[in-house]
Amino acid sequence: MTDRAVTRDADPRPSPGVPLSARRRGVAGWVDVRGRRLGGVAFILNRITGLGVLFYLYLHLVVLSQLAVGPSAWDSLLKNWFLNPVFLVLDVVLLAGLLIHGLNGIRVALVGLGLVVSRQKALLGAFGTIGAIVLLIGTLMFISHGG
Amino acid sequence: MTGRVDELPEPTGRSLPLPERWAPEQQETIPGVSWAWQAITGVLLLVLLTLHMIANHFVVQGGLRDYQQVIDYITNPVILPLETLFLVVVSWHGLLGLRAVIFDFGLSARAERIVTRVFVAIWVVTVIYGVTLLAILVTHR
Amino acid sequence: MSETVTFRVQRFKQGDPASHYDTFQESTDPRTTVLDVLTRIRRVEDPTLTLRHSCFHASCGTCGMKVNGREVLACVTNVRELGTDEVVVQPLDNAPLVSDLVVDMGPFYARFNAIDRPLVRESELVPGSHPAEGIPHAERYEDCIECGICLSACPIAATDPEYLGPAALAAADRLREEPRGQQVPPALRLADDPHGAWRCHVAFECSEACPSNVDPAGHIMSLRRSLIGRRWRALRGEPVGAER
Repeated sequence: MTDRAVTRDADPRPSPGVPLSARRRGVAGWVDVRGRRLGGVAFILNRITGLGVLFYLYLHLVVLSQLAVGPSAWDSLLKNWFLNPVFLVLDVVLLAGLLIHGLNGIRVALVGLGLVVSRQKALLGAFGTIGAIVLLIGTLMFISHGG
Repeated sequence: MTGRVDELPEPTGRSLPLPERWAPEQQETIPGVSWAWQAITGVLLLVLLTLHMIANHFVVQGGLRDYQQVIDYITNPVILPLETLFLVVVSWHGLLGLRAVIFDFGLSARAERIVTRVFVAIWVVTVIYGVTLLAILVTHR
Repeated sequence: MSETVTFRVQRFKQGDPASHYDTFQESTDPRTTVLDVLTRIRRVEDPTLTLRHSCFHASCGTCGMKVNGREVLACVTNVRELGTDEVVVQPLDNAPLVSDLVVDMGPFYARFNAIDRPLVRESELVPGSHPAEGIPHAERYEDCIECGICLSACPIAATDPEYLGPAALAAADRLREEPRGQQVPPALRLADDPHGAWRCHVAFECSEACPSNVDPAGHIMSLRRSLIGRRWRALRGEPVGAER
């Protein structure tokens, strides 16, 4: 205990007698982007896409169990559901989520290693552009293959 | 040097005590390890997920693989280990991420330990489930 | 060239079930600051308005608050430059509310002071200064004015009461960069924690909001790089040694 970095006197002030329970914003501080800048938006987008993709991962794993049922089960699922235009749209949403999360992840990893910190905003801009282009190409490919 | 502020005697009670968790002895794992795992698996996923998406979406006639195409795909000796690795890494990365979101709420050290154990268990179950599924498909062609 | 601007000021007194807003119509000229208006409201219209300020020139760091949803120092926030007919004034977030626009800075100071970073820089003097006779040189203080704005802008501080916070982590990195005879390891031990440097999620809101160019997020990142380097050297059996 003696080498604890903090060896300070106890709070000398009289108890303020007020409900000084931490007035934290809670999750609103994550999702409420009013007044926030690009980095804060990137943070919450990363969080939302991450949770969304994790949810999709488990959905995907459950759906794949139909493969074990046999060829007819899988192929009818494919024909009746997944090649439907509605699912095509969901695929585009998934791709967008993966791109946002992946590209922002590269930024977070690079900046988190103490690299390109001073140019992290430029990195955001560059990755936003790359993501938009890949999403466009991907969407076109979905449409051409699915249709 | 003239009267440097930081050389003045420290007034008593200048600081308030920190919350208890900042005792180093409370640290059970190496700090930053989760962050490193997330970065490493993230980089791996950039490769594995790109391969997975291209192989299952963009190069398939019709957009998605039918049963026979799936079987042909995963019995490929190069693809099978890659897809298995993808399963292991993507579930690790995803669960670690959700754990970080939960930790952002500032749990007690005890609650954090419990969350970690639960998540490791979920990860193990996920990998067993996925590997079993792969084994069924590879053996029942 | 007086112009009337509506001020909506968040009000709260101990014992109130919730906070509410009071509206004041205030004349402004092109140079009026938010703090000018608030002190005038207190002097002329409502002496019960609680606010904290001291220097009026962005040095003391006591008038941090949220104006139109963004953390600023009220003393250097020009009302006209906000460009809105209505100006909303709120206390800082993520700190206990004491009264009206005043929050309890205790939790912030507890973390900040625990790092124990010296105030005067050794590596740098005030550039271009002409000190009076008898004074050898103008000392350069650290940039941080301990206003708490970074903590209010930080999304992680919104949920994690354990988070060491941007200002304290930036101070730890400054101490690492320039120990000035101080012990560095205790500060790094505080910073190298799951709820220290590793809790940050790189939103950079603290650096954007900081009125004093501290760039806390940048310091958290260089702190991480240094911690990774130390761990790497320790792993290879090399002396951790240098703090950089």
